[in-house]
Amino acid sequence: MINRDSISSGIIEQYVLGLCNDTEKAEIEIFRKQDSLFKEAILLFEEELEEKMMRHSFLPGVTSDDKILQKLKSLAEPTLAPVLPIVNRAKKIVKFSFAKIAAAASLLLLSVSAFFNYTQYKKNIEQTTLLASKNYAANTLPLSNYNILKDPNITPVAMMGVPAHSICRCTMFWDKSTGKAYIMIHHLVNSGTSKDYQLWATVNGKQVAVGIVNDEIRDKFVEVSGMPADANEFALILENAGGDKLPGSDVYLKGKI
Amino acid sequence: MQIIDICVETIILKEQNIYTEDSLVEALRNHDNDAYQHLYIHYRGALYSIISQFINDVEIANDVLQDVFLAVYKNIDKYDENKGRLFTWLHTLTRNTTINTTRSKTFKSQQKNEPITDFVSSLDSTNNTQQNINLIGLRKQVHLLREDYKNVLELSYYNGYTQEEIAQALDIPLGTVKTRLRNALIELRKQFI
Repeated sequence: MINRDSISSGIIEQYVLGLCNDTEKAEIEIFRKQDSLFKEAILLFEEELEEKMMRHSFLPGVTSDDKILQKLKSLAEPTLAPVLPIVNRAKKIVKFSFAKIAAAASLLLLSVSAFFNYTQYKKNIEQTTLLASKNYAANTLPLSNYNILKDPNITPVAMMGVPAHSICRCTMFWDKSTGKAYIMIHHLVNSGTSKDYQLWATVNGKQVAVGIVNDEIRDKFVEVSGMPADANEFALILENAGGDKLPGSDVYLKGKI
Repeated sequence: MQIIDICVETIILKEQNIYTEDSLVEALRNHDNDAYQHLYIHYRGALYSIISQFINDVEIANDVLQDVFLAVYKNIDKYDENKGRLFTWLHTLTRNTTINTTRSKTFKSQQKNEPITDFVSSLDSTNNTQQNINLIGLRKQVHLLREDYKNVLELSYYNGYTQEEIAQALDIPLGTVKTRLRNALIELRKQFI
């Protein structure tokens, strides 16, 4: 029988660690609803356990990280639309010879491939031009260099989504002594082809353009060069492709030191 | 590098405070990719260290870690926040997945009977010394318990035996198993948790 005296009996630890049998579990779950002290005692041990486990944790290798993150990403990606049944069309298809079907399919594939390659090529050219002209450094910081972020001179800046875009997040680490800054995007809405995210820094009350931020690079630290030394506030604004000379009003993220 | 990596992540998580536990669970239920990435980055170390208490082989431990996160993805709808915190559920899922692995024929055939100390030495070479001391500390605490406490805890927590199975295996009354197990956990909480 579970009662308040059970708090110090060890049954809470047994329950939280998953070592109770079904009867014990059921009794605990009923009693926790009736007794707030018992409920608090369970929560306390859960928090203690989590805190200790987190403190005593150690990481798997980077290869394992990549593999698992990729796997999770592939699961979360939307699945393709199901292939429509072709039962009723089967008779018509039978009339064509295999060679004709193969030729038609090849031609179709070639056309799709050519179109895809062309659009991809165009996109790459645009992107390259953008990177070259907009003071945007596409250099991602290798994991092996993350130690520089531990430097006490580094100032972390959390860029939070404004209310209309509260899901958006990024973090910037800025080394004032070298002027180098690294930005990591956690979530941004896709800017589309006609727009770009532009990073603005506020210096003495004036907003200064820093560079274009590529929203396709996620969860990697990307170097942003040319950060003004006296900047104390930052904003990420959706501007016309290539960036603007004056800041627009479509602010997505804001952060300050 | 991994220690640094986790420091950076901790800074990010603290600075960003991206999710509350409730919003994270909601996003996980919606199969949101960002939420799963966040979950993995935040909890992988703690869950990996649980797995490593059971499994000496690094590659198998990595595979189990992947299985755990896939199980989270598939079973997140079964998580009931009224029955406990997310980490408690993750802990149980990890322990169960790991025990299932250790019971599989494949695992048994792959077992090289590597002693835990050898495993620790191999991990030490990957700059995880401090964490491994802690890992050993946890397992060591179990082994420092009284023999009768240690035995029931080993069979229950690490081998997944039910209390009835333990009573049968050790040829002691069920009530004694319950008492020893609870006393062992109280001792362990004092010493480690």
